[in-house]
Amino acid sequence: MIAARIHADAIGVDDVRGRPLIVRERIGSRDLVRAASSEARAAGVTRGMRRREAEARCPEAVCVDADEANEARTFEVVARAIEVFTPRVVLERPGRCEFSTRGPSRYFGGDGALAEQIRAGVAAALGPDGDDVRVGIADGVFVARLAARRSVVVAPGGSAEFVAPWPVSVLDDDDLAGLLVRLGLPTLGSVAALASDAVLARFGSEGRRIHELSRGIDPGPSVFVAPPPDLVERTELDPPAERVDIAAFAAKELADRLLERLAERGLACTRVLVVAETEHGERLTRCWRHTRSEYGDALTPGVLAERVRWQLDAWINTGETTAGITVLTLIPDEVVPADGRQLGFWGGDQVAHQRADRALARVQGILGYEAVTTAVVQGGRTAAEQVRFVPWGEPREPERPLATGTEVAAWPGALPPPFPARVFDPPLPAELVDARGDAVAVNGRGEQSRAPAHVRCRALPAGGGAVRAWAGPWAHDVRWWDPHAYHRCARWQLVVSADEAQRSGARGSHDDVACIVVVEGGRAGVEAIYD
Amino acid sequence: MVATPISPTLPRRDEHARAQLRAAANRAAPTVLAGDRLLTVPGLIGELLPAGGIRRGSTVALDGPPGAGSTTVAFLLAAATTSVGEWAAVVDPDGTLGARAAAEMGVALERCAIVRRVTPDRWSTVVGALLDGVSLVAAAVPPALRPGDARRLTARARERATVLVALGPWPAEATFRLQAVGRDWSGLTTGGGLLAPDVVDVRVEGKGVRAHARAG
Repeated sequence: MIAARIHADAIGVDDVRGRPLIVRERIGSRDLVRAASSEARAAGVTRGMRRREAEARCPEAVCVDADEANEARTFEVVARAIEVFTPRVVLERPGRCEFSTRGPSRYFGGDGALAEQIRAGVAAALGPDGDDVRVGIADGVFVARLAARRSVVVAPGGSAEFVAPWPVSVLDDDDLAGLLVRLGLPTLGSVAALASDAVLARFGSEGRRIHELSRGIDPGPSVFVAPPPDLVERTELDPPAERVDIAAFAAKELADRLLERLAERGLACTRVLVVAETEHGERLTRCWRHTRSEYGDALTPGVLAERVRWQLDAWINTGETTAGITVLTLIPDEVVPADGRQLGFWGGDQVAHQRADRALARVQGILGYEAVTTAVVQGGRTAAEQVRFVPWGEPREPERPLATGTEVAAWPGALPPPFPARVFDPPLPAELVDARGDAVAVNGRGEQSRAPAHVRCRALPAGGGAVRAWAGPWAHDVRWWDPHAYHRCARWQLVVSADEAQRSGARGSHDDVACIVVVEGGRAGVEAIYD
Repeated sequence: MVATPISPTLPRRDEHARAQLRAAANRAAPTVLAGDRLLTVPGLIGELLPAGGIRRGSTVALDGPPGAGSTTVAFLLAAATTSVGEWAAVVDPDGTLGARAAAEMGVALERCAIVRRVTPDRWSTVVGALLDGVSLVAAAVPPALRPGDARRLTARARERATVLVALGPWPAEATFRLQAVGRDWSGLTTGGGLLAPDVVDVRVEGKGVRAHARAG
């Protein structure tokens, strides 16, 4: 098999043309380079590098956030330009696609001529953005991907020689690459020089895979299964969907159904064909591949639905559809036996999970994506900082991890347990006064003017009352290194008794409320209540 | 290559390890057998309830002034649900939930959905949708909930065998009514110390329950 890959970093930002450009993305808590223009790459920026490091290497670069829908829309132009040369283009992610070249290169006069013509065709389609289109041709997808980085054509049989000098980090497995480097195997060539059975004995079947890749042999998926023909998922949209979000909502359901039915047969999908038909009888088809990558191993409903959404967005917003979409079909094009799905150890919870997933997705449909969340505990000083609410369906990763490896982050000044059950962010306005009725203030040394005696706030029962016990103030210099974000505040932990006159009597003997009060810039606020 | 001899000490006769394994199995095994429809609540609060738990499909009205501990009781019920591998959802329109406290009380946060930005007019729809999908829904009741809507949700909870915990004044009948009546705070003096955790006093009304007890 001969495959080729195109890498086009086409970004629709006008005022940055001619300057180095870095596209960043957040994967969990990490801020990484998603793509870089040729000027930035010349300065040593590579995909997957930390943004801070990339900016250090190339300080004049413009850094923009990744917009995957926009990328997919732009990349649709590329896919259409390549379709002139070959009908079966397989998209992997916006910016990268592949196709087999046996037929086309014979027709267009050899691999080199084909690569040159495709590059010219894509560059013309992209207009001024098209100065960084790279085409690589080699035996096998893995080698072609590397060839596309340098925009070269690897002669048939020359793969092993070509991949030998590449570092092991191109295997897309950070842990393994780190281990190989520590073992004194920095390049693919040094891995390939090992005896195959030794690698298999040390690393198992994963070792066999990397050894084959290092020798320039692309094993592909280990076992192919012919997709069962009745697994095609199809839905009719009535009324026809003219907006992306409506079509994408249908696509989500379709993706769920398709993968559920595949899972029933113990199959996983690695390539899927998206087909849309419109009211005017247009029929649009595009093939998407999902390989093992940093985004996760298996094609999950969320990942598939995202790709279908990109595709629909591209079709609808580049004017390829002239009317609403009436029929949407997903065809599994390449399926492999599922081996990565881990069932609950005691059984049963998979069903509960799916039931909850459906209900929560429905509530997201009612209230919006951001309204349904799960909480992640993270590092921070205040009760509000210590929790991050992650929208349902996104990876649950903290912004500031509590521990990195074995190193536990210290948050000096954070309150120990018990933690408050009600947290107000921002704090609710309150009055914190001393026995004479003056507001309690904190001086530059973090000392209070007088002991707090009364607190009033609408969040407290009976509107507040006398302070029975207190601890503090704990002064915080928040972000003292950053002149824009710097502010000072002081906190007290208080136990408040409701005022004698306003006591309702219904509460019996325990009418104390514990709360945290913060004073900042002369204004007091109730930050949390121990409820 | 040398074949490793199979250890002659297997199977292990370590009573302690076996007891731990049995305990883990009991904790993690799905608790709902065909006839068993009880959500077991561990700890002091379980002792207040008949049979040590809440029957699935029942509605629990949980109320109390701010600071008296009603949120803590709700967290304990959510913890009882999530610790056995089931799902809970909390409807929190004000967005004031202290998730750190929930985690401290044993709620598995990855199985506890927190639904925010719920407007009063969509509250019933959202709670109804959640009742279909999870084992326990704890929802802060909006101020002007119609008794008809409340009764409809009670019926839906019964039909779906889900526990509905209504936080705030519940305008319909409920299986239990829990009233958090506050707690004595200790550990804090005038000018020093730190707040220490304490038990919450809860008053329970309902069929076959002791009237008043303490829970923590």
